[in-house]
Amino acid sequence: MNTFKNKISYESPCDSDNDWTNSSDDSKYSDTESSVPEWDSDIGEDGELVYIKTKVNNEVTDNSKTPLLESCETFKLRSDFKRTSTRRSTRGKIFKVLKNRKHKVKDNGNDKKKDLEDNNKFLIIQVSKNMIFSSDKNCQIEKLFGISLETHTDGKTLVVADFLPEAKAIYIPKVKSGYYLLKINGIEVTSYNINNVLQRVVEDIENPKLTFQVVTEGLNIDIEKLLTPKNAPENSTIQLLKDSMCSALYMCGNDVEYPSNDDKGVLYCFPRPFNQNFLYNTRGAYLTLNHLAPKSLGTSEPLISTVFHKNQLINVTYASHCNDLLLIAIPNDKIDAFASKRIINDIVKVLDLLYGSLKMCFTKPNNVDKLDSLFSRIFVSLLFGNKCKDKTDNINVCFEETLAARTLSLPLEVKIQLDDAITELEAADYREWTDDVENFQRLYTVIGACLYYSGHLLSSHLQDEDLKEINAYLKLNGILSLSTEKDIERLVIWKEVFIHEHRKQNKIESNEYRIPDGRWFLLVVGKGHFVLATLMEAGGCTEDAVGVTPPSPFYVEECESCLELLFDVGLNKYLPSWFSSNSQPQVETSPQCLTKHGRKTRDNTSTKADHKNPITKHPKHQSDMKRRHNSSDQINSGSTSEINNYQSTSQHNLYAQWYNGPQKQYRHSSIDVSYSEDSGSVKSNSEISDDRVAGRRADREQKHRRESSGSDSDWDKQDGSRSSNIDMSDIRKSLLEELDHVTVQRITAGEENVLFHFIQLESEKGVLIAPVRNIELQANNALYTHIVKTFRSACKKIHELLQHSIKFKKNHAPSNPLNKILVAVKEYGMLFEAPPEILHQCGISRKNCEPFHFWVVGRVFSEPEPRELYLCYHESVPQDITEIAYLLSYLE
Amino acid sequence: MSIIVIAIASESGVPIFSKKAGNNENIQFSTIASLHGINMFTKCHNLQMINTLVDNGTILWKEYCKSVTLIGIATGGLECDLELLLSCIHDVMVFCIGKKELENLKNLDQIKRDLRQCYPILDHLLESLDPNNVPRSTIVLDFIQSFLCPQAQQLQQVLDNYAQSVTGRWACLTIHGHLVATSSDFCELDPRETRLLLLLAAAQDGAPLRDTLVYLPQMSPNVAFRAVTCKLLADVYVLVICGATPALSQIDELVLQCWEGYAQIIKEAKLVYPRNFPLSVTFDSALLGLLVINVCKRRCVFSRHLHPNQKSRGMSGVHRIDILRTFYVTTAKDLAPELKIVEAEENDTDVVVSETYWCSEYHKCHAQRSGSLLCCALYAPTVPTHTMRLLTNQIILDLSTNKEIYW
Repeated sequence: MNTFKNKISYESPCDSDNDWTNSSDDSKYSDTESSVPEWDSDIGEDGELVYIKTKVNNEVTDNSKTPLLESCETFKLRSDFKRTSTRRSTRGKIFKVLKNRKHKVKDNGNDKKKDLEDNNKFLIIQVSKNMIFSSDKNCQIEKLFGISLETHTDGKTLVVADFLPEAKAIYIPKVKSGYYLLKINGIEVTSYNINNVLQRVVEDIENPKLTFQVVTEGLNIDIEKLLTPKNAPENSTIQLLKDSMCSALYMCGNDVEYPSNDDKGVLYCFPRPFNQNFLYNTRGAYLTLNHLAPKSLGTSEPLISTVFHKNQLINVTYASHCNDLLLIAIPNDKIDAFASKRIINDIVKVLDLLYGSLKMCFTKPNNVDKLDSLFSRIFVSLLFGNKCKDKTDNINVCFEETLAARTLSLPLEVKIQLDDAITELEAADYREWTDDVENFQRLYTVIGACLYYSGHLLSSHLQDEDLKEINAYLKLNGILSLSTEKDIERLVIWKEVFIHEHRKQNKIESNEYRIPDGRWFLLVVGKGHFVLATLMEAGGCTEDAVGVTPPSPFYVEECESCLELLFDVGLNKYLPSWFSSNSQPQVETSPQCLTKHGRKTRDNTSTKADHKNPITKHPKHQSDMKRRHNSSDQINSGSTSEINNYQSTSQHNLYAQWYNGPQKQYRHSSIDVSYSEDSGSVKSNSEISDDRVAGRRADREQKHRRESSGSDSDWDKQDGSRSSNIDMSDIRKSLLEELDHVTVQRITAGEENVLFHFIQLESEKGVLIAPVRNIELQANNALYTHIVKTFRSACKKIHELLQHSIKFKKNHAPSNPLNKILVAVKEYGMLFEAPPEILHQCGISRKNCEPFHFWVVGRVFSEPEPRELYLCYHESVPQDITEIAYLLSYLE
Repeated sequence: MSIIVIAIASESGVPIFSKKAGNNENIQFSTIASLHGINMFTKCHNLQMINTLVDNGTILWKEYCKSVTLIGIATGGLECDLELLLSCIHDVMVFCIGKKELENLKNLDQIKRDLRQCYPILDHLLESLDPNNVPRSTIVLDFIQSFLCPQAQQLQQVLDNYAQSVTGRWACLTIHGHLVATSSDFCELDPRETRLLLLLAAAQDGAPLRDTLVYLPQMSPNVAFRAVTCKLLADVYVLVICGATPALSQIDELVLQCWEGYAQIIKEAKLVYPRNFPLSVTFDSALLGLLVINVCKRRCVFSRHLHPNQKSRGMSGVHRIDILRTFYVTTAKDLAPELKIVEAEENDTDVVVSETYWCSEYHKCHAQRSGSLLCCALYAPTVPTHTMRLLTNQIILDLSTNKEIYW
């Protein structure tokens, strides 16, 4: 808190806030600039913050009721940066001063009300009085309204069970079974008074009005609410987790260490009460096994036990730490053993990240409430996270999600944009902002950041281990799914973390390359579907963080403006269309087209088929799709080949700056020089931007000239002048144009695209590349869904087998001997046959039904670091998986 | 690799036996008690430990007849179906002392003594899992190892005749521990019972004529039959299940009567070993090993001497067996979904795998199924993947059309 106070001496003479606010043209900033940020009151006593605001509730607008900065005497100005940042200069935005934040409890009643209303959406349906439904049960409510009801487990609430066939037209799709019937004609109904109310309805002449309460998924669980630390998980949530046999338990092996603990060594148990938790009751078995296995049986410690309890298969996973043992139980029908094994690793990662070690986590005083809400978030997001899946399907976490951070291949152009934005954040170059940068010490160094869009990792500048941990944190806390499902207006999360490197260093004392003894903080900001997680370090060259460290508004804004920048360049519009473009590489989402029958129908009604495929909006792609070549053509032939096309669109851009002639190069360097040489007297803002526009315009004109002259050189095709100095609106235009230029990539050999799905996993880096998450929805095809489902379950099996080889390569003398045959296996394939019923659903009639076969193949490439590639393709064309891996690597 | 199997009386917790194979140490009594304790304790809490995975291994508890608990521990990267193994071991126990005895467990010391006679069979069973030696009778637990010879049909008639003469119904002929021919009623026996008979014959190696009281776990778990094994030639045994009569001395004569004239045929059939396939079936030179399974009859034929007059290159025979076995257990078993013991785990019944393959640095394996024939083939690493498919397909075609093959 007081860290800022001794910085007062650094205040620059020009410290009036009004100077900045007046010139600001952006209302977003004018609001926050002169006041404490809106998340200020949510900061916990330990300085941590979770602030979420999604865009669903438009009525809660940000009507500023915050006091003015001037009136807050405790505000201390750390410095005032007069910054003409490259990223803000074009908008003429001036940044607020960095200020000390002050603990001031504001009533935030709005937010709470909003939460309530979010869960309580109401639907009103008017039923005609003249309608009489034929009910064979002679039930009043069925006769009157055509619905059948049942009572909720609470014994009071009425739940819609079913609709009579005639009534379906009235209710469906608005009302679904599972919704609560709340009111009839404005009178609240329960199971107790329903008959009286119905009697009144019969007597009433008016058409009855039914009010239903919307229940999502039959569960009133809101991850958003759970995330906010103030709300302890509700009893209903905990009850639900209890019922579904989710449980977490931490036991110490040595009671003596904790004399105050009177729970026989159990340091943490969730959900409580203890005696109702099956894991607590049977903990002796797991503990004994955990000791017995390595000591007396000569095996490793147990990883997972599948138990049968209350007619349910439950996976109990083990994670031991020194003498202690963490157990996690998850029901098998929701999460299978494969995923459970990986989930506990993720949970341990998260706990390590947040608390330094498992022991610290469970022995930290007054931490139980936080752990409760953490575990309820974890379980809720695991069990009910995938809302899109229908209930009958078991919600097994799909293969891709459990293994690594899901990413996808983006055009180089976009990648550069993203990296550029993050790099600028990380660079924290404030030289142009203030006259004497040297005199200020920073609060934090940004040591890395990663950016997500709709749950897909777009870019990461983090160390591999950090990325894995932060990804696990975001995933298990439901932040990624939140950002996928909802449009975030503002998300700010601030947590102190213990980074991997620091933890490792504590264990091994080595003097080389020590990282500073500091503290680390994770700052997560979100906007739209973007989530940016930034890892910051206090220590070393920055000021030391002492005591409770709340988030610094300055850095929050820095991160927010980084996201802001992505909006400025139009990535928020570009990415959704890229996600639905299914182009890099293209997967075949209507597999029935590969059958004889399908080919016929497609040829007949090619327009119809094209309509389905989003890419074909652009006429160019039609020709791309129609064009047929075999794989060697793809690599070798001239400019018509897709690969070459691809190279011309993005690969070469990388070099464009160097190839585009000496004149431009000079221009770039001149600006750079002006920054570094005389940082004291930077060129005025307008001068620079004028200069730029001139430069760009010249470039553009030059480009036009080239194009009109008919030059078809690869180098000239593209607008290669992208750099951080460009006017934003131009970039947006060029980006959106870029999407029109998107070429469809195909990585399989053969005339047609036979690729259905692929996953490229780099487990060391913690990332995997796969088609976008909603590809099944995009395809909307029963056969495709079947194929992908089969693919995923096959991948699990293949992945397990290939691990032998990976483990062996990593460690030649493993403590537990491996099967010597399996260690050599590097490729594993399975050929599946689609069942005729599903083919029939896709319009292939039974009489010309030929068997539909597809391969699922996985291969591990061990050099330079293990990389696994999983492919799913139609059997008609034999594929060389090495070649596909090679082509795929070109797309990255 | 190592495998430990412990049998404990569920109620009293008295250890009945513990068997091991591989390079692990003997398991201590306290450990057995703890393992049993875990099971008892969870049972008290209405919880059943189904399965526990450790790094490269499995620990499994299984209770049979509500009286005997078998605990299996497989480690060191041993790929085997532990659950199947435990149920086999239980079968062996029933085979020797009968289900009733096993359920009651009245006189435990007596039972322990009685069970001693099944130890050789158990040893055989466990030994066959060891990748370092050539299994004599069981390569994969699911199937009965046999070989295919043109004489099988002829031998069947002799077996029928023999079975009739000893007032039995089920008789079979084994050569080198492989099932070669059966009497026509033999298929009435459960495949698991057949395997027990073969194991019995293998365990009684050397005895010219012997009868043993056996309980058939499926057909008659409580009433004992008499299994008579008779050595005809070196490594050739004839097995028959019959009632109390005729006496062993009479059987000795009957055997002579029935089999005297067929020594030549048996000798001819014996020549098929170790190729195990009739010479009329030829294989591509890239094929290093072959495991052909008749899923319906639960029989398998393994061969690693596929090419006459050819020295086996590189890979040792044991290694080839091990590769094919591992390939089957981990991978090719998916092609025969009907063999899974419990369908509870995953309901992917609609998912049909029709082919599967491995590529490793030193070999390639490919499995394909057509009808009840499942063919797992081991190839040299130089064979391209799609060629492998063609070759396997050809093998299946050859085998299903060959007139000399009689399962």
